[in-house]
Amino acid sequence: MARILIIDDDEPFRVHLGVLLRNAGHMVLEVECAIHALDKITLDPSPFDLLITDIFMPQMDGFELLSTLLRHHPRIRVIAMSGGGTGMTPHLALNVARKLGADALISKPFQPGEVIRMVERALQTTPT
Amino acid sequence: MNTVPEYRELTDLQKLNEMKQELEAGFSTVLRHYQAGILHRPERIRQALEEQDAERVAMESHSLKSVCRQVGLMPMGELAAQLETMGASGCLDQAEPLIEQLIASSVQGNHELNHFCNGTTLPRPFFEKGD
Repeated sequence: MARILIIDDDEPFRVHLGVLLRNAGHMVLEVECAIHALDKITLDPSPFDLLITDIFMPQMDGFELLSTLLRHHPRIRVIAMSGGGTGMTPHLALNVARKLGADALISKPFQPGEVIRMVERALQTTPT
Repeated sequence: MNTVPEYRELTDLQKLNEMKQELEAGFSTVLRHYQAGILHRPERIRQALEEQDAERVAMESHSLKSVCRQVGLMPMGELAAQLETMGASGCLDQAEPLIEQLIASSVQGNHELNHFCNGTTLPRPFFEKGD
């Protein structure tokens, strides 16, 4: 069982991933914006084994979250998730996220089975 | 001669069936959250258009696009994607007819999702014209 933080401004995706990952036996916390996520992690980064973050969000996007987060907490594992937006294809957005340090990438719309497999794989890797 | 337009389902039922299998007991709850987005976002896009707020049109359309594609409402997702592109470019001249289509699609799509969720067969045709 892992402790997973989900960050997505769209409630249906937060709820969907939450149900999916709880069914798979994980403990899940959901937040609607990157700023709230950073606040939680800054207070105490140890409660989370893995973050799953959307990329295109208001206020602070997933790119900024990734670069800020990994600068201060380089050992935390992150899966970036996107359906593309504001002129960027999902492929391009996820490639940028990879360069910023995301361990794995999920394209929206996602396949539930693929998410579970990706989470298990990310949890098996040793953070560098 | 009036013809009854052929009824075409907007929803990809295979996608919904897969989702139902994966989520088991949580399926109805999750689907209701998606449905709320499908019903309310088009109106928020229309409000953003009335205020000529292109950035908000893009952001709301972006969310709607993702939500629609996730539950298999692909044609509606494509309309939202077009609106997102318009919003991102700042050019909203052609947006109004798309929003009208989006609103009509959201009613039909939501109707189809309700029927799927309740396990009932969709009455055909749902919106006959020309009777």
